[in-house]
Amino acid sequence: MIRSALRCAIGAGFLMTAMASASAQVLEIGTDLSPTGLDPHLITAFPSFMIVNGNIYEGLTAIDKDLKVTPGLAESWTVSPDGKTYTFKLRPNVKFHDGSAMEAEDVVSSIKRVQSKEIASPLASRLASIEGAKAVDPQTVELALKEPSAPLLASLATIAIVPSSVETDKDVLQKQPIGTGPFKFTEWQPNGFVLLSRNDAYWEKGLPKLTGLKFNIVPESATRQVGLINGQYAMLPNIDAATALQLKGKPGVKLAETLELAYALIGMNVSKPPFDNPKVREAFNYALNRKEIVDAALFGAGVPGGPLSPALKSWALDVKEYPCYTTDPAKAQALLKEAGVTLPVTVTMNVLPRQDIKDVAQVVQEQLNKAGFKVELKNQEQGQFIQDWRNSNFDLFASTNAGSPDPDEYFFRTFRTGGSTNVYKYSDSEIDGLLDSARSMQDQAARKAAYDKVQKKLACSGPVAHLTYSTLFSAMRDKMQGFDIMANRSLVNLKNASY
Amino acid sequence: MSRVFFTRLFDLLVVLFGVSIIVFLMIRLIPGDAVAIMLGANTEITPERLAELNRRIGLDRPVIEQYLIWAGAALRGDFGTSLWTGRPVAGEILIHLWPTLELTFLALFIGALLAVPVGCLMAQTRGGMADVTMRVGAIAGLTIPSFWLGIVLILLLSSLAPGFSSLGYVPFSEDPLGNLERMLLPAFALALPILANLSRLVRSAMLDALGQDYVRTARAKGLSERRVVYKHALRNALIPFLTSVGIMTGYLLGGAIVVEQVFAIPGLGRLILGAIAERNYPLIQATILVVTAGFVLVNFIVDMLYMLVDPRVRA
Repeated sequence: MIRSALRCAIGAGFLMTAMASASAQVLEIGTDLSPTGLDPHLITAFPSFMIVNGNIYEGLTAIDKDLKVTPGLAESWTVSPDGKTYTFKLRPNVKFHDGSAMEAEDVVSSIKRVQSKEIASPLASRLASIEGAKAVDPQTVELALKEPSAPLLASLATIAIVPSSVETDKDVLQKQPIGTGPFKFTEWQPNGFVLLSRNDAYWEKGLPKLTGLKFNIVPESATRQVGLINGQYAMLPNIDAATALQLKGKPGVKLAETLELAYALIGMNVSKPPFDNPKVREAFNYALNRKEIVDAALFGAGVPGGPLSPALKSWALDVKEYPCYTTDPAKAQALLKEAGVTLPVTVTMNVLPRQDIKDVAQVVQEQLNKAGFKVELKNQEQGQFIQDWRNSNFDLFASTNAGSPDPDEYFFRTFRTGGSTNVYKYSDSEIDGLLDSARSMQDQAARKAAYDKVQKKLACSGPVAHLTYSTLFSAMRDKMQGFDIMANRSLVNLKNASY
Repeated sequence: MSRVFFTRLFDLLVVLFGVSIIVFLMIRLIPGDAVAIMLGANTEITPERLAELNRRIGLDRPVIEQYLIWAGAALRGDFGTSLWTGRPVAGEILIHLWPTLELTFLALFIGALLAVPVGCLMAQTRGGMADVTMRVGAIAGLTIPSFWLGIVLILLLSSLAPGFSSLGYVPFSEDPLGNLERMLLPAFALALPILANLSRLVRSAMLDALGQDYVRTARAKGLSERRVVYKHALRNALIPFLTSVGIMTGYLLGGAIVVEQVFAIPGLGRLILGAIAERNYPLIQATILVVTAGFVLVNFIVDMLYMLVDPRVRA
């Protein structure tokens, strides 16, 4: 009786799966964390970003898979000779998901919304250079800048264009996003899934190919893997090396990989001893063995890296350019003696509660303890970690950071005196000067030369020891076609994918 | 009867009041406050804005005042809104309650229903091969961790029946077959330890009962063994069984966190876990109250059931 009932249920299961794959092509995606909100101007976490970026919302510009700026909702733009006026020509026939046309007014409102004190968007600093935005006609937007800003076009790719009606509303988009993207929001079952469906009025003809995206929230890694292997999920985006290794070679499963923009780092508080002394920071770098960190904590899937990701091919310097990247514990000890600090240098390291970072921290601890330091690890709960980070309440911390396609976006807020995420309290007049001038340079070669200097200086005596850049993987069923993995973890290419 | 009812109702209120105070204080003792976590790495937040957020959530007031404001609203049926998603807390709980209720019901149904015949059989064949085998099985059922069992079940079924969707949750009202399909494995994973536990309990209670004088009398007057066991002995063995079922139901209603995690079911367990991680005060508070109320209510129902099976309690 029970057996026949089970057989019947299994049979029904077969039937339903067969029916499902014949008709709908909603891509079933397995992901670990719930989004905390869907407002593109307020979110800070990856789970939210992954869902909204490029799928629900788009910016004036876009970033392609080589991290280059391409036209987005603006089909073209011109820059005035003094570099202070940008004129964007908008794509015609772009509609929001509610059916209204996307026009210059909406662009102006979106920029004002991000800049508004009331909204307090974490993206505001990216638009700090914009003094005024004006709708010349429904298809033309003019941005006036305080001074020329080289990173502006890359920054604009991250600024979602939302309807002007929500300019002052803090709540509505968190639950009910309305964008111009290839997929529109349909349903959010907390802890269950977020369902997006095809935007039939999408401006790019023939796209998207899928009828929808379903982000299933599956907290257990083993479950996600089984789900992919048995075909219940078509894709596990942005997985780490450990998971990828387990999925490698499984029948019906393929992997895409790229070097990540995000990196593991150790931050140092330079407002107090011992890390106020640049020699101690240099010693710290000599003590590290980055290759060993990659092998021990990242399963070999990654590379040692400096202040910029090797994925940014047109910007990043080779790590051979940094003398302190050659591991030398004796030199580290010598530098510490020169610095006149008492040995061993006893410090505490706050650790972000994420497995890969905990692993990295342990390897780093061991390496440092061999070179004149005595590091105590403090495994913290997420909330406490963030609070201490925000208040500069640390000697050292081990963490990870997302990285940006343009160097200015990361460097300026992090290393400029008084920068918005300069929790290290770092202040260096040479770096300040270089950062200030580089952001207004129009000439690419001159800009590159300035950032080369910045990288060299920061690599060895900056407040951050940049450690490693991981290989990022996405696993998917063989059948899935047309998806390109992005170094910044964006799933924008799902619009080209088919299943 | 009605006196028992009102005493119980009063108990419920006292427990809820006590729990609400304890929870209120405890969640505020966890280091790292809600606002800091909510803002995450958003560095555009000025101290003034931080203060405004604290004011909006009410965290700038003394704890006692915060409690009174919350309790006042709760008494009027308003549990506030989730700090993160801005949705009403009551709605969030309701969404997560269904999967948990369904899972609880199915697991208990499978576990408790099978436990009675298995337990009786074990008692009847005491010391024999069948008894020993089942007892070993029961120990295994108790000791196998449910997350392991869950993953093994998923793997097993996905190789036996590749098209079977065993992960996630679909409401019964939307897709009854899909719902049962997905509930089968988690219900089984939850039911196994229940079955193991309860069958052992039934066995020992039955052994107890079978040694009693009235069983000997029943046998002496020529009743069939089946009738002796199921009619006379079992009824007396049911009281500890019911108590156990009640307590288990209470626990299950709190959400089977591990099984929910493994099978990706959006139930109360994951709701509470997530709410605590993000310091979602109104959500933690209300969810725990609902769970507490469920626990007390189940025990109340069990008390009522005592009266049904044992006429002496009725007097």
